[in-house]
Amino acid sequence: MTRLIVKRLLVSLAVLWLVTLLVFVATLLLPGDPARAILGQQATPERIAALQHQLHLDEPVWQRYLDWLGGLFTGDLGTSTSTQGPVTALLADRVSASLVLLVLAAVIATPLGLALGTWSALRRGRAADQAVSGISLVIAALPEFVIGIALIVLFATTVFKVLPSVTLTPPGEAVWRQPSQLVLPVLTLVLVVMPYITRMMRGTMNEVLDSGYVEMARLKGLRERTVLVRHALPHAVGPVAQVVALQLAWLAGGVVVVEFLFRYPGIGQALIDAVGKRDVAVVQAITLLIAAVYIVVNLIADVVGILADPKLRTEAA
Amino acid sequence: MEARCKPNPWSRRRFLTAAVGGAALLGAAPLLTACGGNGVAAAAPTGPPRRGGTLRVGVTGGGASDTIDPHIPATNPDIARVINLYEPLLLRDHEYRLQPVVAQSMTSSPDARTWTAVLREGIKFHDGRPVTPADVVATFKRITDPKDPKSGAAGLTMLGEVVPSGDHSVEFRLTEPNAGFDDLLGQYSLGIVPADFDLKRPIGTGPFRMGQFTAGLQSTFVRNEHYWRPGQPYADQLVLINFAEDDARINALLSSQVDAIDQVPVALVDVLRSDPRMRVLTSDTGTWLPFTMRVDRPPFDDVRVRQALRLVVDREQMINQVLSGQGRVGNDLYAPFDPAYAKDLPQRRQNIDEAKRLLAAAGKPDLDIELVTAPIQAGAVEAAQVFQQQAKAAGVTVRIRKLDTTTFYGENYLSWDFAQDFWYTRNYLPQVASGSLPKAPYNETHWSDPEFTDLVTRASSTVDAKARGDLLHRAQQIEYERGGLIVWGFVDQVDAHQAYVAGLVPDRTGISLSGYQFREAWLGTAPGGAA
Repeated sequence: MTRLIVKRLLVSLAVLWLVTLLVFVATLLLPGDPARAILGQQATPERIAALQHQLHLDEPVWQRYLDWLGGLFTGDLGTSTSTQGPVTALLADRVSASLVLLVLAAVIATPLGLALGTWSALRRGRAADQAVSGISLVIAALPEFVIGIALIVLFATTVFKVLPSVTLTPPGEAVWRQPSQLVLPVLTLVLVVMPYITRMMRGTMNEVLDSGYVEMARLKGLRERTVLVRHALPHAVGPVAQVVALQLAWLAGGVVVVEFLFRYPGIGQALIDAVGKRDVAVVQAITLLIAAVYIVVNLIADVVGILADPKLRTEAA
Repeated sequence: MEARCKPNPWSRRRFLTAAVGGAALLGAAPLLTACGGNGVAAAAPTGPPRRGGTLRVGVTGGGASDTIDPHIPATNPDIARVINLYEPLLLRDHEYRLQPVVAQSMTSSPDARTWTAVLREGIKFHDGRPVTPADVVATFKRITDPKDPKSGAAGLTMLGEVVPSGDHSVEFRLTEPNAGFDDLLGQYSLGIVPADFDLKRPIGTGPFRMGQFTAGLQSTFVRNEHYWRPGQPYADQLVLINFAEDDARINALLSSQVDAIDQVPVALVDVLRSDPRMRVLTSDTGTWLPFTMRVDRPPFDDVRVRQALRLVVDREQMINQVLSGQGRVGNDLYAPFDPAYAKDLPQRRQNIDEAKRLLAAAGKPDLDIELVTAPIQAGAVEAAQVFQQQAKAAGVTVRIRKLDTTTFYGENYLSWDFAQDFWYTRNYLPQVASGSLPKAPYNETHWSDPEFTDLVTRASSTVDAKARGDLLHRAQQIEYERGGLIVWGFVDQVDAHQAYVAGLVPDRTGISLSGYQFREAWLGTAPGGAA
């Protein structure tokens, strides 16, 4: 089992490295260079030359890539061409702000989705089950910005004006100091990921509830609660963990759109800005971070899957 | 966004406010009021300006490369910061008239080679030190530093040296005569800073002092107690908040998280107009979004082709479809607020038959051209699409190549054969110096007409306004007849603010929200939760 996990870990690292290479090449393929992007219409040949020199853009490409890769091992993410300061300084507050969103959304959506799915499965075919299925299907079909805009119209600008529509935390103050600003972005993310978790949990539970060992447990005369907690749930965990992981990993990328919509000062906003300004170091750092979250969450899901599956648990040991 | 709430009829609103005497209703719209349905409508504050409060403004654009450097503002938030922190010697007012600011006067020698600025009496920097001629000299040294030229340097190529000429005056010695030099100095990016200026201590003479600045997010400012205009600024604090996205900016205004926003997308003007708590601020400006044809490259090197394409445009339709009516028709000339603007030249209108005839005469009856466009300004891409449709009528095929803004302004900027650009309000000669001379830094059309250049050069050194006007008129006639620009219209500036904000007025410069002159703005009644 340990070998299996180590192998997964090594694959993850290789994938991360591939991501750095891909992102670097992709950013180079973007037409226009950072100096021109920063200067915009104000660019004159003299100002471009001056800025390019200031930004070390005259160095060869491979050298810039190796410098950056080397810096990673010492925790140095390079220099932002926009701020001309370290990327780590630029991202520190933003990473923690985004993490707040992600963690809150994950902590709310996961148990709620699991519970709702289970509840729905136990009422299979009844009105409540059909309502949960229908509603979650509709919400799952909506892109995150549609959900976000609908929530803004409903709670901030038009119908009820009770919640702020954008995040206006003063710089230097943590976003969670004004919790009302977090409500709509978190709610949007929760609504985006929860339907999938709910539907997956419902489907898996239905299968498990139909299986022979649940029938056997019931025939033994065990209480329904014991059947559910001791016999059914553990068998549902493995497959559901995969979906939950996928959804949570998706959060890391989906947060980009949501942050844009709510002017939330997280990595998503920084990423969009950095792409526009051709700020390669920042794009690299953020993409790498999102990739890392993806990989780690999937790794955890695999480990849970391995631990939950008796066949894998014993074979690999 | 459908209109869920019908606005109260304007007449009733006015009656209500009049009846209660105005003041009592200000900003009284409670947070939970869903619509104007319960009859509470906000009225604009009246009476003398009130001091105090925090003005929160949502500004479009900006990002991690935001700066508070007075001399290299690039984005809207940069410009807004620079205008409120620093002041140049001269600046355009809301009517687009040149007004003395740090200088109290600016006079030219008869040969227009030497200009003397007399500094305003008693004007001080944020730290209380008086502005001296040495500071002015150092400022222009910083701007024109050959190793790191700032934005304004490109327009000051004729500036020889700047020398103190007395306790309160500075002399600008030019390498060639320039009768419009004062006009060139009236730019917000030429703010006067102390000789020991340091970006870590951004000091100027502007109405506000720097508080906190976080690139890409927001900046705060506090009232400058040493400010020279009596009584101003009215607000104790100013907060400028960056918005990358249109929807977020509008939503922030609608949910009362900001007091004013710049640049309302034209499609949303009616939504804001129907909200009784909001005011839409519309300004006539000299901002234009030309199509640019390179006069040195086929097919545009044939003047008949250029004329045909100008005749293809239905200008009224452009204004209506591209700008939702928020603009004025153009006549292939720029600088509409210049006293010398050639308003007597006949208005060019769509004439498909004449366009076809010209194209046939040029041997290009089935013209097929590529138009390079990008969302460089609201309406640019739409204008390209409308033009594409209009050109069809004359048998001209326009292929649209849409780029992102960074690519558009990338290494091929100024070398596209047929593209677009945008410019804010300028007077004629400064605009010519920027874009219509062979050596101009932004000559998109590669316009190089010896007769035109000669007229402009002579006008530049002519001090007599009448004689200069005649020369400029002839220069405009040449551009009108054979130039490479299609100037289909001038774009209105549309901004919005809460009804309780007063002092923001229409501004012709093309800079948003009263030219970002927040020293004049005041809050009628403290908005709920101003922080």
